[in-house]
Amino acid sequence: MNAAAKDRAALWTVIALATVFALFFALPFAGLVQRATADGEVWEAARSGVARDALWLSLWTSAVTLVLAIVFGTPVAYLLSRASFPGKPVVDALIDLPIVLPPTVAGVALLTAFGRKGLLGEPLEAWSGITLGFTSVAVIMAQLLVAAPFYVRAAKSGFDSVDRQFERVAFTLGASRLRTFAHVVAPQAWPALLAGMVLCWARAMGELGATLIFAGNFRGETQTMPLAIVQAFEGSLGLTAAVSLSLVLLAVALAVLAVFRLSTSHATKPL
Amino acid sequence: MTLEFSATTSLGPFAYDASFAAHDEIVVLFGHSGAGKSITLQLVSGLMRPQRGRIVIADKVVFDSERGINLPPQARRLGYVVQELALFPHMSALENIGFALPRTAANTGRVRGLMDLLEIRDLAGRRPATLSGGQRQRVALARALARDSSLLLLDEPFSALDESLRITLRRELLQLRRSLGLTIVFVTHDLREAHLLADRIAVFDGGRLLQFAARETVFRRPNSSRVARLTGIANVCRGVVRSASADELLVEINGLRLRCGSHAEGLRASPGDLVDVAIRSERVVIRRSAVGAENTFTAAIAEEFAYGTSHTLLLQPAGAGPTLEAELAARPYEVLSIPARREWTVELPAEDLHVMAAAN
Repeated sequence: MNAAAKDRAALWTVIALATVFALFFALPFAGLVQRATADGEVWEAARSGVARDALWLSLWTSAVTLVLAIVFGTPVAYLLSRASFPGKPVVDALIDLPIVLPPTVAGVALLTAFGRKGLLGEPLEAWSGITLGFTSVAVIMAQLLVAAPFYVRAAKSGFDSVDRQFERVAFTLGASRLRTFAHVVAPQAWPALLAGMVLCWARAMGELGATLIFAGNFRGETQTMPLAIVQAFEGSLGLTAAVSLSLVLLAVALAVLAVFRLSTSHATKPL
Repeated sequence: MTLEFSATTSLGPFAYDASFAAHDEIVVLFGHSGAGKSITLQLVSGLMRPQRGRIVIADKVVFDSERGINLPPQARRLGYVVQELALFPHMSALENIGFALPRTAANTGRVRGLMDLLEIRDLAGRRPATLSGGQRQRVALARALARDSSLLLLDEPFSALDESLRITLRRELLQLRRSLGLTIVFVTHDLREAHLLADRIAVFDGGRLLQFAARETVFRRPNSSRVARLTGIANVCRGVVRSASADELLVEINGLRLRCGSHAEGLRASPGDLVDVAIRSERVVIRRSAVGAENTFTAAIAEEFAYGTSHTLLLQPAGAGPTLEAELAARPYEVLSIPARREWTVELPAEDLHVMAAAN
């Protein structure tokens, strides 16, 4: 085979691989849509009380999770990017741990720490009578543990990409550390921060394993969309209900993705 | 405006030690990369803290290790243009320049005034990525000047620009200095740039300040053969002192006795001492005969390099005398018709022979 023929063969191989891969991604969504259009009960199930409660719970808990991740995660990410302190590699590794850990393990771990017999949970209940497990607070804690590392990781790499020279110059121009962060560092890291927020929020929305173990599955209280889907799938309506809930979740995800795309293309557009 | 600077610090294996002052002038920090020039600017601006020293900007002590004073960069009123400029990429030129100032009507006027002065008014709304190298340079300069500081630190500001633009900007900088009455500390490794801009020069090498003096002193009377080499003196020859008087030394180089009219400050030389003698290649005189001249010897042209406006000749002594490099402008080169002969009389004017302590 001559060089040109080899090149052509390679090109066709790439095209074939890409097509198979694309089909693998497209077909499941096509399946969802096909089932929804064929099965009239799907729309009814989507308007059910269970679906409404689960969606509302998922939306507000994931929103709170995102806010907490930003509030606590941004300083951590900035410190990891800029400061050197003893134990930094340990902190760095700890943040990666929930990313590689199966969420069910995270749920068990949460239970051992904050559950009724947990490290902190037991004294907390004895002292104040408050239990965290199996409440909406537990849902948020499960989401935060599993999802916040995605934001911290993205934010850190965003801060890493901002040359320190900008901060140094800002200091010589009289800007305080806070002003420098707000006006020089954060705006430049913004696309990465935004990507981190989307990742974190999506991970929180999809959280299942840790929530199931640490927060349980109570409608209106701890039953988020993913849990509702599992329950619906095992229930009397079976696949129909699962499809309808999945479609709702898919729509929400698409909407968020669209907003994200729009805002990043706006943020990176030069004047 | 006066800057007084003295600092010692160590950075790993690197020992830094320098002290100099600048008063309503341009002080050029000159040396190879890694010599300690940029570190000096970081120490002045407060981005880096020396172990010991004292730094005074406009009568205000901003660092004093003995009294425990160390003002942060924000509190040291100076303009600092770093080598990479570091214009904020997400801000317009106007926002960059106005960054240091609270947004008031008076400040907006000030920013506009600076933009007029630097002829960048039309660029106000543009982002740095859309500006040319020279335009960015001007925006960075305007930003550094916005805080109304009369001390300006410039770290190789023109190194990334092409030669013609550099020439323009250097001239503008000199005008700017005069019109705003600035004190400028200017870092460069470019000899010509140093010569054009400097009132005084601080020569750095390996973290140490080797010589700090008026431009002409550094270029004509270097205090060591290292400074002579760094400032582009091609000829540094080892010799032995034969006799020494108050203002004149007789030095023997390779069997040739030369009267030397210049020596490094504080040099103590007595007969028999080893010394280094420096002469710039453009100061070497080539003559048809030795009649009526002193400090002459016969040499052959061993090699020759033509640079258009000048010629560099490598001279090999026929008998006694040093091996030298001579630079001859195109005109005398033609008048003498250098290519017609191989052997010439070389004259080394006594006032251009500069004696320094022998380097080990």
